[in-house]
Amino acid sequence: MDIYLQLALSGLFIGGIYALISVGLTLVFGVLRVVNFAHGEYLTIAMFMTYFLFHTAGLDPFLASVIVVPLMFLLGLVTERLLIRPTLDAPHVVQVFVTFALSVFLQNVLLALFTSDFRSVRTAYATAAFQIGPLYVSWLRLAAFLAAIALAVGIALFLKYSYMGSAIRATAQDRRSARLVGINVDRVYAITFALGCALVGAAGVLLSPLFPVNPYTGADMILVAFVIVVLGGMGSIGGAVLAGLMIGVVESFSSYFLGGEMKQFVYFICFMLILAIRPVGFFGRKGAEVMDVT
Amino acid sequence: MSPPAPTIAGTLWRPALGFAALALLPLVFREPFTLGMVTLSFIGAASSLAWNLSGGYAGQLSLGHAAFFGIGAYASTLLFLKAGISPLIGMWVGAAISAVSAAALGAITMRLKGSFFVMSTLAFGAVVHITAVNLRDVTGGSSGLAIPLQPSLGNLVFADKLAYAYVALGLVAAYYVLTRALAASKIGYALVAFRENDDAARALGIRTLPVRIGIFALSAAMISLCGTLHAQYFLYIDPDSVMSLNLSLNLALMAIVGGLGTAHGPIIGAMLVTAVSFAMQAYLGNQISGLTQIAYSGIVIAVLLAAPAGLGPALGRLVQRRLAWQR
Repeated sequence: MDIYLQLALSGLFIGGIYALISVGLTLVFGVLRVVNFAHGEYLTIAMFMTYFLFHTAGLDPFLASVIVVPLMFLLGLVTERLLIRPTLDAPHVVQVFVTFALSVFLQNVLLALFTSDFRSVRTAYATAAFQIGPLYVSWLRLAAFLAAIALAVGIALFLKYSYMGSAIRATAQDRRSARLVGINVDRVYAITFALGCALVGAAGVLLSPLFPVNPYTGADMILVAFVIVVLGGMGSIGGAVLAGLMIGVVESFSSYFLGGEMKQFVYFICFMLILAIRPVGFFGRKGAEVMDVT
Repeated sequence: MSPPAPTIAGTLWRPALGFAALALLPLVFREPFTLGMVTLSFIGAASSLAWNLSGGYAGQLSLGHAAFFGIGAYASTLLFLKAGISPLIGMWVGAAISAVSAAALGAITMRLKGSFFVMSTLAFGAVVHITAVNLRDVTGGSSGLAIPLQPSLGNLVFADKLAYAYVALGLVAAYYVLTRALAASKIGYALVAFRENDDAARALGIRTLPVRIGIFALSAAMISLCGTLHAQYFLYIDPDSVMSLNLSLNLALMAIVGGLGTAHGPIIGAMLVTAVSFAMQAYLGNQISGLTQIAYSGIVIAVLLAAPAGLGPALGRLVQRRLAWQR
């Protein structure tokens, strides 16, 4: 029995970070109607930044976030301006391939710069843990989980209560009407995309002390993020959080009982089942999956 | 005066001329390196034509077609190695497996549009790739399978590499004709109508779901045959070379560069893309890992931003403008 609880707990913790990765992806889709296939590479970039800040400046990963997250926001602004905005009205195939090519491009730039060696951030407190009854709880994982959930809640509050948040939600609902009531839709797109990058950047910072990084790390993670986003309902932040936690637990159990190699199978089966049974996910708007870019 | 009505001869002389030119290529480029380039561009053209039926005409953008390519390569190779069955038969077994799995996948995912469909095919491709890597007992895992060099027509192995070029060209011609025939048929019009505006198409009473699933399966079977040919040409296959995501991307890319949803686009695109990638390999080499891919993806982004409808139409416009200017 204890082992089940322990598995559930570790799955829940990693699921928090999955949720944070997926929140960025689902936010960008909900507003821009663009799936950013390079989302995973932004995670990798953030992890590399954290690694180098840790090893050259001796900066603790949690402190490094103060530098990494704003830089990722900037990177998002630049990407939106150069690649996303010029293709927003282009045929769907162009949008898919621009972000896909960007993903290949970034992956190989990282490969040329840093080779495919794994690099890890080893903090002094990485193995610190405490015990509740039969459960061992890692301080680091608990802190990363709490930070991820806090950020997801923070972004939800931002969307609900700030002026910019309302503008983003209005644009997500109907971009034409949003423009009619005086919302600067281009600015909303830029900020939304940059926010997505900043969120995945924060996820990268939190992942750094837990997982080693190489140029393919993000590509491995992105498949999970897709499953989560579809399960939660495209564009739904609450859905992404719930689905992220669920998939974390599912993964934790499946890799214990079936082995790590079967992980991808389990994702795929989940993915196909969701698509077949309920393509709108938990909280997705009905018709989101068949929605046109208009 | 109205322009003369197009006659059969009038519409066919251009493709006939094009294919005559293509048939000369293997004879002109007889050096092993350049002949390899020509052969691979033919295999690429045939594969991309297959992809284009579903991805271009029906607008079902698949990034999992490498899985069907790989199924073709593995089915014929395994049947030959384990049971001694000729690839001439094995290729049809592969095509049948591909068609059935495509139909099953399509039945679940064809309701989805846009990025959702892309993601589902992506996941399918990834799973087939992982299966091939992990089923070491059957597929040899990452170390791959080698086909013994026993040249004979029955083995579909040729001593002279020139033969492969012409077999591949035959496949290109067959797929081109099939594409033209389908595009001119009621099915072709239904697919395009659905791609352009599905609500309007539905309102007109066009029911495309079974047709789209059928075309998806046909496209999978067609690309599966290309996979067999690829295996016979290299006499070696491994999961990374015949079912990687990069392969799926390349097929789509060829069609996009040449002009999506046209019969000649994939052929032009395959020529351009293969030539560029060979040139980059020759000049950039492997000095720094990933350099070729960096240049490649950089070019793709530039092309997409500059000519979203593909280079084929863009070049055509350029030529027309020049002609108009000269007059």
